[in-house]
Amino acid sequence: MDLAFTPEEQQFREDIRAWVGANLPAEIAHKVHNALHLTRDDMQRWAKILGKKGWLGHGWPKEFGGPGWNSVQKHLFEEECALAGAPRVVPFGPVMVAPVIMAFGSPEQQKRFLPGIASGEVWWSQGYSEPGSGSDLASVKCRAERQGNTYLVNGQKTWTTLGQYGEWIFCLVRTSTEGKPQTGISFLLIDMKSPGVTVRPIVLLDGEAEVNEVFFDNVVVPAENLIGEENKGWTYAKHLLSHERTNIADVNRAKRELERLKRIAKTEGLWDDTRFRDEIAKVEVEVVALEMMVLRVLAAEKSGKNSLDIAGLLKIRGSEIQQRYSELMMLAAGPFALPLIREAMEAGWQGDAAAGALGGFPGGVVANAPLASTYFNMRKTTIYGGSNEVQRNIVSQVVLG
Amino acid sequence: MDFDFSDDQVQLGDAVRKWVDKGYTFERRRATEKTGGFDRAAWNELAELGLCGLYVPEADGGLGMGPVEGMVVMEELGRGIVLEPLAQSLIAGGVLAGYADAATKAAWLPKIASGEALVVLAYQERAARYKLDVCEAKATQAPGGYVLNATKSVVPVGDQADAFIVPAKINSQLALFLVERQSAGVTTRGYGTQDGSRAAEVSLKNAPATLITQDGLTALEHAVDIGIAAACAEAVGVMDKTMAITAEYLNTRKQFGVVISSFQALRHRAADMKMQLELARSMSYYASLKLNAPAPERRAALARAKYQLGTSMRLVGQQAVQLHGGIGVTEEYIVSHYFKKLTQLEMTFGDTLHHLGEVSARMQDTAGVFA
Repeated sequence: MDLAFTPEEQQFREDIRAWVGANLPAEIAHKVHNALHLTRDDMQRWAKILGKKGWLGHGWPKEFGGPGWNSVQKHLFEEECALAGAPRVVPFGPVMVAPVIMAFGSPEQQKRFLPGIASGEVWWSQGYSEPGSGSDLASVKCRAERQGNTYLVNGQKTWTTLGQYGEWIFCLVRTSTEGKPQTGISFLLIDMKSPGVTVRPIVLLDGEAEVNEVFFDNVVVPAENLIGEENKGWTYAKHLLSHERTNIADVNRAKRELERLKRIAKTEGLWDDTRFRDEIAKVEVEVVALEMMVLRVLAAEKSGKNSLDIAGLLKIRGSEIQQRYSELMMLAAGPFALPLIREAMEAGWQGDAAAGALGGFPGGVVANAPLASTYFNMRKTTIYGGSNEVQRNIVSQVVLG
Repeated sequence: MDFDFSDDQVQLGDAVRKWVDKGYTFERRRATEKTGGFDRAAWNELAELGLCGLYVPEADGGLGMGPVEGMVVMEELGRGIVLEPLAQSLIAGGVLAGYADAATKAAWLPKIASGEALVVLAYQERAARYKLDVCEAKATQAPGGYVLNATKSVVPVGDQADAFIVPAKINSQLALFLVERQSAGVTTRGYGTQDGSRAAEVSLKNAPATLITQDGLTALEHAVDIGIAAACAEAVGVMDKTMAITAEYLNTRKQFGVVISSFQALRHRAADMKMQLELARSMSYYASLKLNAPAPERRAALARAKYQLGTSMRLVGQQAVQLHGGIGVTEEYIVSHYFKKLTQLEMTFGDTLHHLGEVSARMQDTAGVFA
């Protein structure tokens, strides 16, 4: 038993840190460190920088053009990116659909789709949830009818994150109503430019349209876009979700945001306020404990041992922590978290010059502008990726059978 | 980075578990509790397993092992809610080996390892609560050494221990001393504690003492950190068994015609307990793996660990009782004894609020497992 990374791993970390330091655009890092609005271009710019280096698919094996890193190396890479203020890689392409294509796609599909994902050129979206299926994913109704060499797709997906930018979408579609709900699901890749696809934004409680509804109205999809076998999609989906739940704990981002929380507390004069400071201290311990759990899972993965009964806990804990630090940031700003001035969440906002001395952000600290919005936005974390209540069901299976 | 136990560590744990399962039954524990909360025969059995000398160097008759072995052993003892305070031998072995002069080491370490000498830390005072730098005990130089004047509280097995490790001030400087219980000027009053074990008030009036180190605060902090790591590991064992007992109960007990483990409200509570158990286990690893780190890093880490463990212990203990219903609050049934052990461990070597204060006071701009 040993807590330290090996000298090679430490060198690896140094190399990654140096590279990220040299290649992450400062204006993007500034936005991330201050939770300012990130545009599509910001996200794609960083994705392409990573893609050019061969690191957008940083979890990919060598045979598919990835770096072939082990679980610890992947973690170190993600941590260095997060701490440096890199935007979170939009996971739908490189983290979610790519492993499915690698594991279950045909060589032709791999050749066709993987390069665009690896380079960051093609923006992918996720078509899992439907209005009637939240955490109960197997209840999907979106239909795909086989007609010769094509499928005819009719139905609706929802909560499609950043779907307004999407060029391709991977979907769970119902190809059979026979047997158990899980058995009639297929995994289909759909070009979002196809006639009959409509994307409609859903404005969330923070005023942003981060998610969308996607409608399929007699959309014709070539049968060659089916991954694996018809009606076996549930197996492939589960493969993908197991990736999502480790990813979702996001302890590296929590470490960065804990630093930001402390900065905000200092700015707001709360660093020496015992009552508030102790609340930060609690989050600090929670973050360290989560990191230890993550390291235990990574070490077990690296040595090839199974520790899935811990992995299930990561999503619950990680999401609770994200909600707590965003809540404390908002509370730290106090009354100055209340003004809703959307332009102040954009980088470089100078205030309203015409209003003179009163033209800046109320209270004078523009860093407070996005705090309440972020707090509202973070309510999603205990709902998505299988709600925390569903996660507790899964954990209770481990404890009680 | 590696969280697997070596074959030797697994064997050590197995040996202790075997002793707990076969040699330390609930009936034996109950009998010990009734006769005062400490059984020298059980203590000698721990010594025969080599456990009293776990942190005593091999040259001094011990096993010369490290924090991970300490963790493995304490976790197993926790599973059996063993009353005899092995953590005290880890502290005594570690502190004397680390800070005492050659003569003191030679006089005490072999006896600690063999179980012949039960040496315990007598540091708590009325005015200090859990603070280590608050100390009213006075040491004055006397022919051949020092004499101590002090009242120390809630000293584990204080009326039967053979010697005490005692912090006291020489002028304003905190130093650490060794005092034999049989010496002139030492009086004790023993009593039972909430978890069924034993403690005592210890009064020293011009009691002769051997200086361990003038750098008393450094040594005392180290002693308490050894104790915290041991308490964390012990607590993981207690919680692990508590979970198992509770899961078995939920899967057996029927209400409204079905086993109560079919109720989602109770299943989610069990999931919350599992969460706290795994957070606690993670932080117990962290505590033991940081125990040999430089003092500032070690102190910060151990405070974080004890805060997490305290939080976990309270939730797991309270919910275990709640999920058992009426039987959970009886003296007869085993789960209440696990709950009381967890409660006492939470309040040993600094409670949860105390350690939250420690974490809070030590916070830096960045934080993580490695900082």
